[in-house]
Amino acid sequence: MNRLLRLWLPAALLLGISLALVLPRTGAQTEGPAPSPLVTGSIYDQQGQPVEGALVTLSAAHESDSIAQATTQPDGRYSLSLSETIPDTLIVHIERAHFEDAHIELDAAAIQSLRTGQPIVLPDTTLLRHISPAFWAATLVFVAVLAIITTGTLHNTLAALVGATLVFAISYLGHPLREDLFVFDFGGALRYVDWNVIFLIMGMMIVIAVVERTGIFQWLAFMAYRVSGGHMWLLLPILMLVTGVASALLDNVTTMLLMTPITVQIALVLGTNPLALLMPEVMASNVVGVSTLIGTPTNILIGSYGDISFNDFLRNLTPGVLLAFLGLILYSEFAYRRELRAGGNPSPLLLEKLAERARITKPEHLKKAGLVGAAMLILFVFGEQVHLLPAVTALMGATALLVWIKPDIEEMIEAVDWTTLVFFIALFILVGAIQEVGLISFIADAIGRLVGDHLVLAMLAVTWLSAVLSTVVANIPFTAAMLPVISYLTAIVPGAHSKVLFYCLSVGSAMGGNGSLIGSSPNIVTAGIAERAGYPITYAYFLKRGFPALMITVSLATLWLLVRFLVMGGTGG
Amino acid sequence: MSGIVCAIRGGPASQPTIAQAVTLAQKTGLPLHFLYVVNLDFLSHTSSGRVHTISEEMHQMGEFILLAAQAAAAALGVTAQRVVRHGNVGDEIIGLCRDPGADYVVLGRPQAQGKENIFTKNLLNKFSERIERETGAKVFFAEGSGM
Repeated sequence: MNRLLRLWLPAALLLGISLALVLPRTGAQTEGPAPSPLVTGSIYDQQGQPVEGALVTLSAAHESDSIAQATTQPDGRYSLSLSETIPDTLIVHIERAHFEDAHIELDAAAIQSLRTGQPIVLPDTTLLRHISPAFWAATLVFVAVLAIITTGTLHNTLAALVGATLVFAISYLGHPLREDLFVFDFGGALRYVDWNVIFLIMGMMIVIAVVERTGIFQWLAFMAYRVSGGHMWLLLPILMLVTGVASALLDNVTTMLLMTPITVQIALVLGTNPLALLMPEVMASNVVGVSTLIGTPTNILIGSYGDISFNDFLRNLTPGVLLAFLGLILYSEFAYRRELRAGGNPSPLLLEKLAERARITKPEHLKKAGLVGAAMLILFVFGEQVHLLPAVTALMGATALLVWIKPDIEEMIEAVDWTTLVFFIALFILVGAIQEVGLISFIADAIGRLVGDHLVLAMLAVTWLSAVLSTVVANIPFTAAMLPVISYLTAIVPGAHSKVLFYCLSVGSAMGGNGSLIGSSPNIVTAGIAERAGYPITYAYFLKRGFPALMITVSLATLWLLVRFLVMGGTGG
Repeated sequence: MSGIVCAIRGGPASQPTIAQAVTLAQKTGLPLHFLYVVNLDFLSHTSSGRVHTISEEMHQMGEFILLAAQAAAAALGVTAQRVVRHGNVGDEIIGLCRDPGADYVVLGRPQAQGKENIFTKNLLNKFSERIERETGAKVFFAEGSGM
């Protein structure tokens, strides 16, 4: 199965990218020749978002043949050019799947203007959503995939892929049976795929693959032990800091995959329960990862969708994250006070073995990776001056490392987690489907009504709702689905234009991962390794230790966001 | 592998298993082999790109756990060997016992009921029958313990 996945997933990904590049951008251009006279206008949905791909036709009243037609562009605008004789009555018909049809009758003055060759601009049109069978089909598929991912019934990628395929099957095979079963076509689906996210993750994966083989994590963990002098109360925050910083700069799943085994060994040396170190470490990974654009997959999604730069995350979140991290350290010291007191008598035999392993295995690679990493950080921070996308920086860094180090290229390609990339592509398509049929609009509308004009209420609702929901549903699909909702709230809630609600989502969805064992992927891999070392982390145990951490860290981060955006008047990007 | 094979996972639940194996080694005078199996099934739902690196790290962790067990045995005057294998836990225990043929296998009785864990109460008896059938080794359980 794994071999099969390794073979076809890269191929599927490359095919997808190629198709995205070669497929024509349908519906983005006005049909028909030369201008004059022109009828132009814009179409929006009930949330004020432009509606792309609506078919706009102009015809004489009581005539079925159209005089002109066009499809709306991504900004919702359309432009109809009339080359024939202008009749006495004109009606604009607007049709779009998943919306009610709309009609605008041109008045006599408008028709007169057209006859004299003057262009006219029609008032903005708001299309009303229409709940179709496609709405229920797409909603059902999305909820089922979310449940399957959350319960771990199927591999994340397979679940998302099955979901995306079902949406296509419903659209293409169901459409001939019932017209209103159509969700979107293949080209329409690919428009929802955020290639910035895909390439950013891919570039970072290559960089991480080089770094993880240098032994740096093992060396850092051993140094933490040495610096602490074997004092558990000191070792704990140092290990949390190492894990947190690594999670902010690399991927947090990889960080925990590498930190967990070495932490178990340190705990065995000290004769203490490894969970007293592992739980605070994984919670630190979930908390500190929030501070950078590349620290968590959810931040990568939020940054790309909300056009929030690396600097914006640093400026607007890092102080709050540090505050939350401090709270987490104090909480961990308190929660594990008994275990921390119990340890501290190292076994000389085990210590010798630990010291043997704590060495940098590839110093040259580490040196080069360090230099490239530093250059990448500089580009992440200053690149926005020249509109350099983070995805491009990541790709440049990855390529530079590959050229400089010249590793076994096949090993490096294998180190790219293609299943994760395909997961994201399928997820974008799935979220696109529920966006297309209007589910997101209904949710956005409901939350919009709930919070009204109150920014503080909106901030609290987004932060805490996403934190609590992240404990029970997988936070990546949840965040992806919430992005259009946040975009809507940003547009309608006074003061939210600072993008503060995107930061609230970032804090809630990532720090919310501490609330339960299934709240984030690092939790699951940590529990998997700990269980194989004879220290199982049960759901109840994680909840008991993690939920108070969620309450403390999210409260402190919320406090910072309130100060930053309401008192200091911060702007978000 | 002739002698006693003691499959352990680490943690407090493994202590009675180690003690039982050491006692058996003292009684019989047979060589004792501690076994740790690296199994990465927990990655199957999340990440697949890091298998190579994490496999090495888990191997080292297994060595470490076995070193602690080895030291515990040495403290009781028993010299034990360490074996780390990769793959399915049940298959690897049987594979080691067949190579060339263990006399005894010491296992724990963990409380876990995970569906993929062969060491659940329900499946443990079937597994011990399989060991005896396929390798001829006699199986001992350490009560109140875990692999």
